[in-house]
Amino acid sequence: MTLCSRLRSCLRATVRRSRMESEMDAELRFHMEAYAEDLIRGGVPRPEALRRARLEFGGIENAKEECREARGVHFAETLLQDLRYGVRTMLRAPGFTVTAVLALALGIGANTAIFSVVNAVLLRPLPYDQPDRLMQVWHTPPQKSFPGMPIFTVSPANFLDWRNQNHSFEGMAAYGFGRYTITGSGHPETIRMVAGTAGLLSILHARPLLGRGFLDGEYELGHEHEALLSYGLWRSYFAGNPDVVGKNIQLNAQTFTVVGVMGPEFDFPISSDPGARAQMWKPLAWTDQERAIRDNHNYGVIARLRDGVALKQAQAELDAISNRLAQEYPNDNKGWGAIAIPMRDDLVSDVRPALLILLGAVALVLLIACANVANLMLARTFSRRKEVAVRTALGATRQRLLQQALSETLVLAVAGGTLGLVFAHYGVILIVKFLAQRLPRSGEIALDGWVLAFTLGISLLTGFAAGLLPALRMAKADLNEALKQGLGRASVDSGGSRTRNVLVVSEVALSLMLLIGAGLLIRSLWALHHVNPGFDPSRVVTMAVSVPPGKFAEPTQQIGYFSRVLERVRILPGVQSAGLIDSLPLSGDGSHQPISVEGRPPAPMAELPEVDVRLITPGYMSAMHIPLLNGRDVDDSDVAGRPGAVLLSESMAKSFWPNQDAVGKHLTLYFFPDVPRVVVGVVADVKMNAMNETQPAPTLYFPLAQLSPVRGAAWRSIPMSLAVRTNAAPLSVLPAITSAIRETDGDVPLLNIRTMDDSVSASLSPERFTMLLLGAFAGLALLLAVVGIYSVMSYSVSRRTNEIGIRVALGASRGDVLLLVVRQAMLLALIGSAIGIAGALSLSRLMASQLYGVRPTDPITFITVAALLLLVSLAASYLPARRAMRVEPMAALRYE
Amino acid sequence: MAKPIDLLQGTLDMLILKAVSLGPLHGYGILLRIEQISKERLEIQQGSLYPALYRLEHQGWIASEWGESDNKRKAKYYRLTAAGKRRFQAETEKWNRMADVIAGILRTTPEEV
Repeated sequence: MTLCSRLRSCLRATVRRSRMESEMDAELRFHMEAYAEDLIRGGVPRPEALRRARLEFGGIENAKEECREARGVHFAETLLQDLRYGVRTMLRAPGFTVTAVLALALGIGANTAIFSVVNAVLLRPLPYDQPDRLMQVWHTPPQKSFPGMPIFTVSPANFLDWRNQNHSFEGMAAYGFGRYTITGSGHPETIRMVAGTAGLLSILHARPLLGRGFLDGEYELGHEHEALLSYGLWRSYFAGNPDVVGKNIQLNAQTFTVVGVMGPEFDFPISSDPGARAQMWKPLAWTDQERAIRDNHNYGVIARLRDGVALKQAQAELDAISNRLAQEYPNDNKGWGAIAIPMRDDLVSDVRPALLILLGAVALVLLIACANVANLMLARTFSRRKEVAVRTALGATRQRLLQQALSETLVLAVAGGTLGLVFAHYGVILIVKFLAQRLPRSGEIALDGWVLAFTLGISLLTGFAAGLLPALRMAKADLNEALKQGLGRASVDSGGSRTRNVLVVSEVALSLMLLIGAGLLIRSLWALHHVNPGFDPSRVVTMAVSVPPGKFAEPTQQIGYFSRVLERVRILPGVQSAGLIDSLPLSGDGSHQPISVEGRPPAPMAELPEVDVRLITPGYMSAMHIPLLNGRDVDDSDVAGRPGAVLLSESMAKSFWPNQDAVGKHLTLYFFPDVPRVVVGVVADVKMNAMNETQPAPTLYFPLAQLSPVRGAAWRSIPMSLAVRTNAAPLSVLPAITSAIRETDGDVPLLNIRTMDDSVSASLSPERFTMLLLGAFAGLALLLAVVGIYSVMSYSVSRRTNEIGIRVALGASRGDVLLLVVRQAMLLALIGSAIGIAGALSLSRLMASQLYGVRPTDPITFITVAALLLLVSLAASYLPARRAMRVEPMAALRYE
Repeated sequence: MAKPIDLLQGTLDMLILKAVSLGPLHGYGILLRIEQISKERLEIQQGSLYPALYRLEHQGWIASEWGESDNKRKAKYYRLTAAGKRRFQAETEKWNRMADVIAGILRTTPEEV
């Protein structure tokens, strides 16, 4: 049989029902008339012939019904009928309908919102051509020197060797970031620039919207002053003028030629923060000296897999090349490997666990909503069993009853899904608002076709899941029993109440699991808020003083500039102290370098220990209130020509000189080898990268004034950030600070102006938002579970009115009755809690990566949450119990 | 004339397919054709004919269109589709095999067992 003809016939049946009916009538009439005419021809009188024709045909309505059924009219028609009936029934029970639709809408809405995030961030392909072939290639650093750091940026010489020696990749390109100040046409503005080696655009299969890409010759030193504009910059800074292509612009006082403009959808590298999108691209040209650098790792690398090459093969080749390089250059490369990671995985690895936890949480919420609706439906099924019995008696088949019951939940689910879409719409707006800065591709989050399909799918699935149990019970109803008992209240529906109890127990268990998850996150956030960052963030304002490269020809000039800035800022009223550092704590930036230490045998660079290195000025430690534990702070006497002074963090001092005084020890910084340095003091550990850092990063500070030429690199501008501690509210002093800096030496862009309190708070915002979301979902689950308990108990009380009446008549006190009801509810809640705790114990370790300062099996959380749930269950059962208490024995008995 | 026998369960479909395989027919015509070929030895419930026709059409074995009958009246004519033709052949083979087997079994004498 062909599916096509069947569908066509069904469709025809539904769409042109009335026409088919009249055709069927005509056909049957023709049959009978033809037969009658034959009879008349055989000599039967006309009236007798017509009578016999009708008689011999048999039950004509019966035949028609069979015909309808045979051609598929039946299913479609009855479905419509059932849906109409479903809507009518729902409208007749508004309380039930509103509860059920709301429960489903919340469940479906939460799922839709989280799915639309997951879809955009984790599932949708990156906005490049054949994006699954695009790889990010990183170094894997030696774990001895870089504990806990799985990947690292890449050095130029190693990149060139990877690129030239591999056969797995179609192309490989390195890129680096820079900030440039654009001047000349209009106001100066700081531009985020990405410089890429040859092939960057062709690996991405990207073409400019206007103009051209870079030519081969433009990757050579001296010819690299060409720029591609981002669509956004072109529109905002150049007013979308196409004539800009071919024109010259001034970047950092150098002349660049605009060769083209990229399309609006082009973004590289994709960043979590939309405020950090690249605005311009230029060719990356290295000097011969730079091309030989193997020990300084500063570049990102992307590559496109050749057709037919599997990631595994490519990785094996990278491993082989790395091994070769490690043997060839043991000094620089021993222990350094390479790893290719699919670009999308690389981009979302940070947010994936949190998103998956949220996805799991909303799935649980939906399950609870399903159980809730099933429960409500079951209660209705029981009170409607007489109606069902009558229908059965009139000839409705089991299949027909099943279909009808399912159509009713389907109506509920579709209504819930529609309302859920509205909830999801607002939910997504909220999520994007709070998470945009931490969520890569957050701009792409939308309720698109995939999300709508997902919502439709889960709505239907939900309707089916919630309706199946009640529908089966409805269809199973025993005709004789039901009719005999009428609507008697004392009748026992043991199978039904068992099902309902199981549903309530699972609701309690599931919501307990969610509550425990939320509880753990709350505890963890609490711990993070009370973690000592090592500095005092209150009343400190910070900003990046972005000196354009080229403004000062010599390092000493820039150092002089910074000390003039400090002099001016320090004397401002309301300023307590001020200092500069190259990378502020919690900024996520900062450099590492190997050091060699007095008393240890010389070792190749790859085996030297790595520490965080920060450039500071005097005043930084006191501005941040970082306690000095030993020795002295750096001061204005630590200048070029004097012995190099360094401060160590406590953890660094302890790990290098356990049980010894670190002050007075000598060491050498690998990249600043010319100056021997001596430890002058030890300061407290500081949270360098994030508040949830568990291991303090060993850190070395040295004064900006003693900066010596960098090994193997040309002089570049030093990015420094200013930290100012104020007496009053820091923002009230801010205008004075910015104008003091402007007066020092003309306009220098000040970026990222914020208080240290804000930085601490912002560094916790993803944790806070995950906690809020999970908390909201857990609250939702709790609410649904409470509704479940309440409805089961009040149903049970109304069913047992008669029994309770007898008990009271036989001398049971009101207290006994109360206990009877509450005990039943608490038993369900206790069983649910026990299962929920067992479930949470086995699931919560999946959350371990999201927790800080609290174990996944934290007993306090488990006990508190379980107690809360039991308390709430108690409250939910109290109202029905009170109603039971008020039962008048006489009324109850008469009721029968 | 022998007394007509009732139709064996499930055989009406086959008979309809056979009837329309000889040329398009309306419902009443199919009834007459079957009675004629069977030499009036089979009796078909008139009411059960139409559900069977509708079912066969729904399954795609036969197709229908409105035409004019011999006495110039509008009537619905059924004809065999290509799929119906294949189906009919398969059913016929199956039936013949089945009839052989059953007949063989019934002919068996006690000595042969």
